Amino acid sequence: MKFLKNLLLSFVFAGVMALGTTSANAACKVHLGDFDWDSANVHTAIASYILEKGYGCEVQVTKGSTTPIMAALFDQQIDIITEVWRDNLVQLIEDNLSKGTIIELGVNTPSSTQGFYVDKPTADKYGLKHVNDMKSEKIAKLFADPEAPGKGRMTSCISGWTCYTINLVKHKVYGLDEFYTNFDPGSGGALDAAIAGGFKKGKPVFSYYWTPTGLMGKVDLVKLEEPKYDQACWDEMTKVVEDIKANGPDVYKDTCACEYVNMSLTKAASTKFASNAKNKPVLDFIRAYSIPTADVNKSLAFYMDESGGDMEETAKHFLANTAIWKKWVPADVAAKVVASL
Amino acid sequence: MQKYKKFIKPIVITITFIFFIIISYRSAKPRYKPEHFTDIFNDFSWLQNWPKWLDFPLMQPLNSGFDFLIVKYGLFFEGINNFLLGLYTSMKNFLVGLPWPLVIAIVIFITYFASGRKVNTTIAVAFCTFFLGFLSPRYWDKCIMTTCIVLIGMLLCIVVGIPVGIAMARNKRVRNALLPILDLMQTIPSFCYLIPGILLFGLGAVPAIIAIFVYAVPPLIRLTDLGIRLVDKEVIEASEAFGASKKQTLWGVQIPLALPNIMQGINQCTMMSLAMVVIASMIGTRGIGDEVLLGLQQLNVGMATEAGIAIVLLAIIFDRITQSYGERIQEKTQKKKVFNVKD
Repeated sequence: MKFLKNLLLSFVFAGVMALGTTSANAACKVHLGDFDWDSANVHTAIASYILEKGYGCEVQVTKGSTTPIMAALFDQQIDIITEVWRDNLVQLIEDNLSKGTIIELGVNTPSSTQGFYVDKPTADKYGLKHVNDMKSEKIAKLFADPEAPGKGRMTSCISGWTCYTINLVKHKVYGLDEFYTNFDPGSGGALDAAIAGGFKKGKPVFSYYWTPTGLMGKVDLVKLEEPKYDQACWDEMTKVVEDIKANGPDVYKDTCACEYVNMSLTKAASTKFASNAKNKPVLDFIRAYSIPTADVNKSLAFYMDESGGDMEETAKHFLANTAIWKKWVPADVAAKVVASL
Repeated sequence: MQKYKKFIKPIVITITFIFFIIISYRSAKPRYKPEHFTDIFNDFSWLQNWPKWLDFPLMQPLNSGFDFLIVKYGLFFEGINNFLLGLYTSMKNFLVGLPWPLVIAIVIFITYFASGRKVNTTIAVAFCTFFLGFLSPRYWDKCIMTTCIVLIGMLLCIVVGIPVGIAMARNKRVRNALLPILDLMQTIPSFCYLIPGILLFGLGAVPAIIAIFVYAVPPLIRLTDLGIRLVDKEVIEASEAFGASKKQTLWGVQIPLALPNIMQGINQCTMMSLAMVVIASMIGTRGIGDEVLLGLQQLNVGMATEAGIAIVLLAIIFDRITQSYGERIQEKTQKKKVFNVKD
C-alpha cells in the first residue's frame, strides 16, 4: 500500500514538474487557426513544427470552417492564420484591416486557382472548354441531379464559404442556373468525396474546385474558361455577393461576373498578437514564410500517398527534403529544427 | 482431451496476436525499421515511444477493399440508390405539391386515430405542425424533406430491425454474434460511414438514409429482443401446454406482449433518425438540418436557433404520434389480459 501511495505521489509530482517546466520554458505562446481543407493543414503543420522545435513556442491549433476561424481571428482569440483565401473574403478582410483588428503578413502561396471543373474524359468527348459550352440540356443531362429532375448538378462550395454565394451569382450571370443546381455539399470532406467517387465510378463530374489540393494530383480535372478577370467587374460582383450574404438570395441584382483571379493566398495575424514586441521573431518568420504551389502539391501528394494520413510526418518530410524554409528563420533556429528531424 | 479444452482459446488468440505483430513488422516501411530484426532485442530504445514498425496495416486493405466494392458492385449500389431515391423523390414531390393546410389536416387525421381519439395530443401535434411553417415559410418544404428521409429510414429500420430482434431473442448464438456488431454501429463516429456513403451513393438523401439505418437500428433491435425475452416464462409454458407450436407462441403470445417494448424501440429509432438527419446536412442532404449548419457557418446564432426549434417541434410531432400509438397498444393488450383472466 505504502509503495502504491509513493508511486502515485511521485507521478503527481513528476506531472506537476513537467507542466511547470514546459510553461516556464516556452518563449512564446502561439494560437494558430487552421481550416478544413488540406493545403491549410499542411501550412499549419509546417509552421507549428518550426515554431515548436525551432522557437520553443507552445503552439495551440484550432481547426474549423472559414467563418468561425476568421471570426476568432478578428476577435483576437486566434493569433495567426497561415492560409487566408483573401480574394474570397475581400470585404471582410478590408473592413477589419481598416478597423485595425488584423494585420496582413504577405503571400503564402504565390498562385492558386479556383473555378469550375469538368472531368477530362467528359470534357474531351463533348468538347467542353468554356462555361457557355455547358449551357445545353444534352450536357446538363450528363450531370443529372437525381433530386432535381430535368436539371444537372454542379457540386459547389459549402454554403458557409463565400465562394458558394459567388458561384450562385456566377450561375445567374452566366445563365447556368437554368440548367444546373448550385449544390451545396455540406462540408469540405464531402466535396472531395463527391469528386473522388465520381472518378472511381467513371461518372461525369462537374464541380467547383481549387488548387493546390492533394486530390487535384490524383484526378484529371479540366478547368472551364470564364470571362477574363477584370478588377472593376470583380468589385461590382463582390458588392452583390456581400448583399446576398447579408440579406438572402432575393436581393440578387443583375451584375457583371468573371473568372476567379489567379490569386495569392495570404497570411494574417491578430493585432493583439502582432503589437506585442515579444512576438517579433515569430512574426518575422511568418512574414518570410512562402511556399511555391508546386512544393505545396508535392507535400500534399506525400501526405495522401505515403504519410499514412499523418500531417506532422508530412511537415517533417517537407523540412527534411527542401531548403527554402531555411531562409525564413535565423540560422540557430534552423539548426534546432534540423536537429529535431 | 476435455482437460485441455480450456487452453485452446487462449492459444489461438496468442497465435493470432503474434501473427499480427509479424504482419505489422513486415509491412512497415524500411526507414521505420531497425536494419535487422534482431536489433530489436539488443537495442531497447523502441520501448520508450511507440515504434513506427509496430503499426497494424489496416488502412490500406480497407481502402483497396472499398475501391473493390465501388468498382465491382457499383451496379448493385446503383440499384439500391435508385430505389431509395425514387421512393424519396416521389414521396417528397407528392407532399411538397400538396397545399399546406391539407398536410396539416393529414397529420391531424393520423394523430387522432393513432392516439385513439385523444383530443389533447391531437391539438398539440397540430399546433406544432403549424408552427413549423409559422417559424419561417422557408422551413415548410425543408421539414417535409427531412420527414420523408426519416420515414424512409425508419421503414428500413423496421423491416430489418424487428425480424433481427426476434431472431436474437430466440437464439443465443445469434445474440452473441450480433451484440458486438450493434455496439460497433452505435459507437463508431458517424463520419466514418457518411463519407464512404458519398463515394457509394453520391451526395444527397441516400447516404443519409443509410446513415440513419446504421445509427438508429440498434435500439430497435435491442428493444425488440428485450421485449420478447421479458415475456413471462409461465405465459409461454401455458401456451405450450395448450399445444401451441413455436410459431403460434411467437405470433400469438410473444409479439403481442412485446409490442409496447417494440413501439418504444420505434420511438427511439425515430428520435435518433432525426438527430442523424441534422448531421447528414454536412454531406449535402437537403432538409431542415442545412438551416442549422448555415446559421452555424455564418455565425448567425438566431438563424441556427430558429432552425433548431423547428427540429425540436418535428421531434415532438414524431414522438407524440409514436408514443400515443404505443400507449394505445399497451392499453389494448392489458385489457385483453384482464379479460382472459375473468374468462
